[in-house]
Amino acid sequence: MDPTTLIGPSSPLGYPAPYWFLVTFKVLGFTLHMIPMHIWYAGVLLAMLLQWRGGKVGRQLARRLMRPMPILIALGINFGIVPLLFTQVAYYKVFYPATILMAWPWVSIIVLLTLAYYGVYIYVAGLRTEGATIARWRQAVGWVTAAFFLLIGFFFSNAFSLMTRVRAWPDLWLRESIGGAPLGTALNTGDPTLWPRWLMMFSLALTTTAVFIIVDAEWFATQERPNYRAAARRAALMISTIGVIGFAITGSWYVFGTWPEELRERMFQGPLRALTGLTAISPGAPWLLILWQWRKGGTRARAVATALAQVLVLALNAISRQIVQNAELAHFLDVTAEPVRIQWSPLILFLLLFVIGLGVVAWMLGKLKALRTSESG
Amino acid sequence: MHYPWWYVPFLTSPMLIAIISVLHVLVAHYAVGGGLFLAVETQYAYRHDHREYLAYLKEHAWFFILITVVYGAITGVGIWWTIGVASPLATQTLIHIFVFGWAMEYVFFVLEIVSAFIFYYFWGRLDPKTHVRIGWIYAGSAWMSLVLITGITAFMLHSGRWPEERTFWAGFLNPQFVPQVLARTGGAFLLASLYVYLHATFKAKDPALRDLIAARSARPALLGSLLIVLGGIGWYLALPESAKAALIAASTLNILVVLIFAVTIAVFFMLYLGPYRNPGWLSPGFAILFFTFGLVAITTGEYIREAVRKPYIIYNVVLGNQVYAEKVPELRRTGYLEGGTWTKAWVAHHYPQVLNNGRIDPAQLLALPEEDQVKLGEVLFLYHCNDCHAGRRGFSPVAQLIRGWTPEMVRTVVEHPEKAHFFMPPWAGTPEEAELLTKYLLRIAHPRPAGMYFGEEK
Repeated sequence: MDPTTLIGPSSPLGYPAPYWFLVTFKVLGFTLHMIPMHIWYAGVLLAMLLQWRGGKVGRQLARRLMRPMPILIALGINFGIVPLLFTQVAYYKVFYPATILMAWPWVSIIVLLTLAYYGVYIYVAGLRTEGATIARWRQAVGWVTAAFFLLIGFFFSNAFSLMTRVRAWPDLWLRESIGGAPLGTALNTGDPTLWPRWLMMFSLALTTTAVFIIVDAEWFATQERPNYRAAARRAALMISTIGVIGFAITGSWYVFGTWPEELRERMFQGPLRALTGLTAISPGAPWLLILWQWRKGGTRARAVATALAQVLVLALNAISRQIVQNAELAHFLDVTAEPVRIQWSPLILFLLLFVIGLGVVAWMLGKLKALRTSESG
Repeated sequence: MHYPWWYVPFLTSPMLIAIISVLHVLVAHYAVGGGLFLAVETQYAYRHDHREYLAYLKEHAWFFILITVVYGAITGVGIWWTIGVASPLATQTLIHIFVFGWAMEYVFFVLEIVSAFIFYYFWGRLDPKTHVRIGWIYAGSAWMSLVLITGITAFMLHSGRWPEERTFWAGFLNPQFVPQVLARTGGAFLLASLYVYLHATFKAKDPALRDLIAARSARPALLGSLLIVLGGIGWYLALPESAKAALIAASTLNILVVLIFAVTIAVFFMLYLGPYRNPGWLSPGFAILFFTFGLVAITTGEYIREAVRKPYIIYNVVLGNQVYAEKVPELRRTGYLEGGTWTKAWVAHHYPQVLNNGRIDPAQLLALPEEDQVKLGEVLFLYHCNDCHAGRRGFSPVAQLIRGWTPEMVRTVVEHPEKAHFFMPPWAGTPEEAELLTKYLLRIAHPRPAGMYFGEEK
């Protein structure tokens, strides 16, 4: 079966904004989403490991990782809405069929996420009431929560890899359907890119979590004992090193082991060569900054520089992923060639509200900064 | 038509949307009304330097965050998840019309999240004036998100001038918009008070404090009940003719409408006689009863709102079976199987002999062996009918609905479902395809129940 026959016609309504606008918000939103999402994705598992085998300092680190987790999860879910929204606008022809083919795992994300989120709250409540000796049942909840987050990540990797692997649709569909209607039980496990993609994201999540530990130690751990920051830097370096090595291995596996020759050629030629190279080596920058702080000591400015470097890493990653996604889809459809009917007034109103919203958030954060200054003074 | 149809045994996939939507709205209304409650009451408690009330409000804010920020937010995202897989064409259409509506709503979501956390986590540390302002930022953002999403959901019930003008505002400012905003705002006030009562009767130990909470929360609840009734009347008056007819014709909906009005009025009088006039009456049992009534009213309201849309998902734009209303005549000429991306691929893969110059030849379909015709009938059933009907068993199962029908009756209804029941979508295929569907339905139909006596001669 020709897989292109499974791609439906264009929407008669056209894109409500130019493609560049949609994809910019998609990439920007995904970058913002990755920051908190990485911290819970790898952070909850790390916290459980540190609580279990980390000694006194490890448990301290675990507590500091878990405490802000409810807020980070709320922000991460919220930031995830934007890329999902613009994915559905611009990639609807492939997004819907892919998620329908794996509808049950896709929908189960909601159940898993709800349970995991409450799991985090249960664990954090234990930190408040029980301190260092957190009850065993709460620890068990923490482990289950960590497993759920990993499973959610696995389902996401499935959905977004299946979205571009249109060639696999006919087999998955014919195998798992009744009367031509999918049962929604397919997974993209036959895709060689799935596993390195999933593991690569986890490795990258480790590096983001390491940066979070550095920022937290310099900016928010003022109440901790003096040796805490040094220990946090050491732990961050270790976690970042594992993350960078993992990223290098899984990234190489992904690029050299699973990409078709044609895609590799495209990503290693012309201006894209620089982008691919930068994406590959960029996790080294925050790692070097963490190493520097481990050796020379940390400051708030250094922590901020490390965080900015990590944001750059994530942004490069998001941009590269977007280019690869379009290249993979190019065999089946050209997402840039859809008709456009710009909705000017709603678009302008959205941008206006976006700026006002940022202003209000800045005002609220300003109040917190003033509070902090007055409390410390 | 453009997407694969997700087969969910027994329930049918759109029922998953209904389930998750109801689970969401029960909390979503509280997320709006509860925000207003916290802003107003915190302001009041600060002004009167009421320490005990402030302590209670802090406790309530924690409960509020646990319920709304976690469960409410995720089930909200869950609706996205489910509509995308269970109703993809309608979702695609809504997204292309209203993406900036959702994007605006997102801005308010961010404000909600940030302000909610600051409001709770910095309680007692922020000066009262700033604290209250943050509370109001939450309340205003939450209400704005209600307004924005209501414009979109109201559009589904009445697309207004959109089919002619095809602009964002023509769709958003539809006839159902204002009545539904009124009703939902009322629902938010009312439900928030019921959540407060439920929480306060268990958590506020001091009877005087409990009485204060009962009395103060009665006012927004009474106002909410009035807004629900006002919005409900506006909603009914602004309904399209088909929705009004569905409301009158369907006995279940009849009963539910009576139920929702009866419950709302009962709650109104209970609020007046109870918390408003006699705050001391409020007990855990009373609060649970109130809360249950509130849930029943909201659930019923949502069910009715969904049900009266039939046969459309988006009135006059997208039909329940994922077909653009304007495409029906074309599909009747060229064929449903030919018109659907995945149905055509399925036929081309399994029965290439029915293709003629790359198109499905309807006449060739009837030349297939009987078993294959039944199989194609099943494809037609799943893609054309399964959005509202399960097959043999489950939600509105067609095999049970046509018990004892003759082949002629089945064929007539297959070809003219919208004439048999005006709330069903029209047949969107060729006569040959109608024959295939008829054969499939007759194959799965149960026989007429035995033992029924009508006084026939023996």
